[in-house]
Amino acid sequence: MSLEVLVFIIFNGLLYGMFLFMLSSGLTLIFGMMGILNFAHASFFMIGAYLGYQISENINFWIALIFAPMLVGIMGAMIEKYGLRNIHKYGHIAELLFTFGLFYIIEEMVQLIWGKTPVPYKVPEILNFPLIEISGMSYPAYSMFRLVISLLIFLAIYRVLAKTKTGLIIKASLTNPNMVAALGHNVPRVFSNVFGFGCALAGLAGVLAGNVIGTEPSMALLLGPIVFVVVVTGGLGSIKGALVASIIIGLIQTLTISMEYDLNSLINYLGFQIDINSTINHFTSLTLSQLSPIVPYILLIIVLIARPRGLFGKRDV
Amino acid sequence: MKKIIFTLISFGCLIIFYACEKKETKGPIKIAAIEPLSGPYAAVGKDIIEGIIYSADVINQNGGVNGRMIEIIPMDNAMKAEKTTELLRKAIDDGIRFVTQGGGSSHALNIIKQLEKYNSRNPGKEILYLNNSAVTTSFTNKDCTFFHFRFDSNVDMKVAGLVSHMSKDNSVKKVYLFNQNYVYGQTFRETATRMINNKAPDIKIVGDELIQPFGKIQDFTPYVTKIKLSGADSVLTGNWGPDAFRFVNALKDAGVKVKLFGIYISQPAGMAAMEKNLLFNDVIVVKEFNPTNSKAPNWYKEYEAGHLDAVGYTPDADRFRFMLEMFKNAIEQTNSFEPLDIAYALEGMEGRSIDGGKVIMRKDDHQIHFDMQALLLVDKTDQSIIYRNQDFDMSYSNVGNIPVKDITLDTSCNMKRPK
Repeated sequence: MSLEVLVFIIFNGLLYGMFLFMLSSGLTLIFGMMGILNFAHASFFMIGAYLGYQISENINFWIALIFAPMLVGIMGAMIEKYGLRNIHKYGHIAELLFTFGLFYIIEEMVQLIWGKTPVPYKVPEILNFPLIEISGMSYPAYSMFRLVISLLIFLAIYRVLAKTKTGLIIKASLTNPNMVAALGHNVPRVFSNVFGFGCALAGLAGVLAGNVIGTEPSMALLLGPIVFVVVVTGGLGSIKGALVASIIIGLIQTLTISMEYDLNSLINYLGFQIDINSTINHFTSLTLSQLSPIVPYILLIIVLIARPRGLFGKRDV
Repeated sequence: MKKIIFTLISFGCLIIFYACEKKETKGPIKIAAIEPLSGPYAAVGKDIIEGIIYSADVINQNGGVNGRMIEIIPMDNAMKAEKTTELLRKAIDDGIRFVTQGGGSSHALNIIKQLEKYNSRNPGKEILYLNNSAVTTSFTNKDCTFFHFRFDSNVDMKVAGLVSHMSKDNSVKKVYLFNQNYVYGQTFRETATRMINNKAPDIKIVGDELIQPFGKIQDFTPYVTKIKLSGADSVLTGNWGPDAFRFVNALKDAGVKVKLFGIYISQPAGMAAMEKNLLFNDVIVVKEFNPTNSKAPNWYKEYEAGHLDAVGYTPDADRFRFMLEMFKNAIEQTNSFEPLDIAYALEGMEGRSIDGGKVIMRKDDHQIHFDMQALLLVDKTDQSIIYRNQDFDMSYSNVGNIPVKDITLDTSCNMKRPK
């Protein structure tokens, strides 16, 4: 594998990782600060993609890029204010069930409005060209655009949380909500805003990715589980953790696809041989690239066993 | 008073039930069509169902079958094999005696296995399975059953056609196999490996990939990188639905040049997603006919125009038409609506082909046989590909005929015939 190709693979891994980050950074805030295991998080991502499609059809992509996430954010904040907040007193199970139901409601609503088949959401013409060429393979301009936007988003969130008073209040509301309330801050409103902001981030991820991966009603279901892997691996409530975990998962998944090694090659290397017709060969002949879809979940299990608080988490899951 | 109302309601229900029961033998001939109508594969399933419904409508407009109409009952399996099993049971409970399915061989296998049991345990109430597109070879070989009829050529036949075409193409030296990891994709891969080694030993297989199927993979760029690295000049793939469309787009985005050989790469459901990306690489598929041939006979032109009117696109597959035509002929020949009689009549039956070639249902294994064509996608030269009222300004160009004798293969089928 030449160095140039490795660079290409790393770029792709980074892109996928940053996409996961955008998708899950909102959830890590919500999960970490409010303790709400939001099953419907990926649904907000889906709404973002559909709104992105609808607005770019009717107006243009750039307006969609700004307003679709805002709409999703407002929607999220409303759901928190009029739904989740009332249920909060019944504990986490009630909240969990609420978001679980929400997931199905959103999926059905999307199907009612936009139909069950994928909608033709297109990459904007102006960004639809190959940007750079590395040893015979080109990297699309739109991918670079997505990469840059997600990096900017990370820097923005990180700065707000670490350097501003708002970040301070948010962090304080997480650990000592009563004290923050006693100091005169409106804690429920902080929660509402954080929830809305988290949803808006997922919505933005949807606008940026919907035209690449395809916008259809099962996209939330397909991406739902991986989001939790990122949040748990990175550590609850840690934006830095979400970033690192996303990139690790992105790189590992992209790299494992490129590898043709299987257990047989290791066994042969050690000087043993497996009968091709034996049952055990079914398992030992699985290549790393075939296993790549489950790699993130293996990572999840390892992290939960070895370090339950995740890479950068301050408390256990 | 309550009692009277209750009695009246019960009586009313009885009458309704009786009426419905009676309708089953006099009303339409119901065919359950189990396909994905939601999820990533919904577009493909919808096309199959619409094609079959239109084909049934044409028969109905010409007086139906022995005075009865054909009614297609769409059922959505969301591309989940266990759901197919559940829906088939529901169809049986509803008294439906005919089922058709095609999207996904894992589903087809479920139906075959389930009906094998059901039909042997319920003589006189058998269910007939009209397989419209599930092409895994074993269904007409070791897994063959009497009540299964396949109206599409199987993987072995299609791959035989593709490999014979590839062996004539001097630019094909290194081929990469790219398939979905389930019963159909595995069959495609095995057959392709075997046939390339036997029939085209000059072609080297430089890569062999089985991917997680059914739209789970969003980004195909890593696979494209791998193909580029392998130095392949062509890719042989059985992929269909989003697993094919996203792959075509990823090749275009990464600017990787290879020849693509396949069966379903240019499925109409993916046209809007791929558009002219389909022309970036040479895409060659094998089909039972050329959907953009303007020289088709008049009766077919009429059928095509009606299809365009009804659903907004011209047929991309011809098999839904001859499947129901043969089904109709079988009923008319035997003068019976019983699946058992129809099945016997279908054996060895000939269908009507567009270009005068033979379409014949082989008796030994219930596998249809017809001439195929190798088609290359090109900028519009003849009739244009139209899908959902959008003109894609592309045509298929015939780059080779594959006569039926080249793809007639032996079968290991040894089925038990009832009666």
